[in-house]
Amino acid sequence: MRRALILAALLASPALAQETASREAGLAAWESIAAAASHPRCANCHVEGDQPMWSGPSYGTTRPHGMNVYAGESRIGAEYLSCGTCHAYREEGANDAPHMAPQVADTWILPPPEMAWFGRSSAEICVQLSNPDLNGGRDVEALAEHVQESAFVNWGFNPGGGREPAPGSPEEMAELLRQWGAAGMPCPG
Amino acid sequence: MKLTVDGTDHEVDVEADMPLLWVLRDELGITGPKYGCGIAQCGACTVHMDGVAVRSCQIPASAADGAEVTTIEGLGQPDALHAVQAAWIEHQVAQCGYCQSGQIMQAASLLELNPDPSDEEIDRVMAGNLCRCGTYIRIRAAIHTAAAKMQGA
Repeated sequence: MRRALILAALLASPALAQETASREAGLAAWESIAAAASHPRCANCHVEGDQPMWSGPSYGTTRPHGMNVYAGESRIGAEYLSCGTCHAYREEGANDAPHMAPQVADTWILPPPEMAWFGRSSAEICVQLSNPDLNGGRDVEALAEHVQESAFVNWGFNPGGGREPAPGSPEEMAELLRQWGAAGMPCPG
Repeated sequence: MKLTVDGTDHEVDVEADMPLLWVLRDELGITGPKYGCGIAQCGACTVHMDGVAVRSCQIPASAADGAEVTTIEGLGQPDALHAVQAAWIEHQVAQCGYCQSGQIMQAASLLELNPDPSDEEIDRVMAGNLCRCGTYIRIRAAIHTAAAKMQGA
C-alpha cells in the first residue's frame, strides 16, 4: 500500500508541478491582457449603457462622451445621432489630429452590452472573457483573431492624435491570449 | 471626382483627401456650409450625404465620389423654405448665425428619422452642433414647430 502511494506521488508530482507552472504562466499572460483590456483605449467603448466614455490621460475627469452622445440599442447611434455623422472613415491621414473624431472603420459601433467591462476589475474581466456567453461567443482562438483583425482593437494600440495607446500590440495580445488559453484560461483570485 | 450637390451634377479635379467642405466651398463656391473647427467638434459644416447628416470637414473627397449631397443652399429656396428654415425665422433662432446652416441641416435630418421628437431626443441629436450664442432653447422650440408643420398639424 505504502509503495503504491509513493508510486502515485512520484507519478503525480511532475504533473502537479507542470499544472502549477502552467497556471502561473497563464495568470502572467492574463495580467498583460488585462492591462490592455482595462486601458481607456479599449475600456471606453466596452460599456454597459449606450454612452461611450471619455477617460484616461487625454480626457481629465472621467465622464461620458461629450456632445450628449447616445449610441442607442443599435450601438451605432441610429436612434439619435449616428456615430458616423462625426466618425467618418478614411484610410490615409485619419486619426492624426488631436481631438479629432477618430476615423477607424466605415461603421463606428460600440461592442454589445454583454461585453461591457468599463470600471471592472481584472478578475471580473477575466471571468467574462473566458465565458462565450459574455465574450461574443468566442473561444480563445476567436478572441485572438478578434484582437488581430478588428479595426477598432488595432486602433487602440495605435490611436494617433496624441492619444495614449493601449500597452502592447495586437500581435502580442493575440499571442498572450493563446498562452492564457493553453493554460486553461486561469483567472486571478 | 463626380458628385451631385443640391441637384446639380459636378465633376471636380481634387486630391483624394481634400475634405468635402473644401470641395463645396472652394471648388464649387457653395459657402452655406461653414468651417468651424475642422475636427468634428462643432457641427457648423453639417450637410447631408446620401440622406445622412455628416460633418463635411471629416469626409474625404474620395468618400464623397458619386455621392448625392444636400447643403443648406439646396434644402429649401427663398420662395419655398424647408419647414425647419421657416421655423427658424418664426422663432428668430439665429443670433450671429454662423452655426445655423449646420444646425438646420442636422435638425432636418433629425425630423426625417424622427417626425415628433421629444425634448430629450432633440438634445441627444442636436448637442453635437454648438452655438456660441447659446440659442439652444429656441433651436429646440423651432424643431418642435417644424415637426408639427411637417406632420400637417
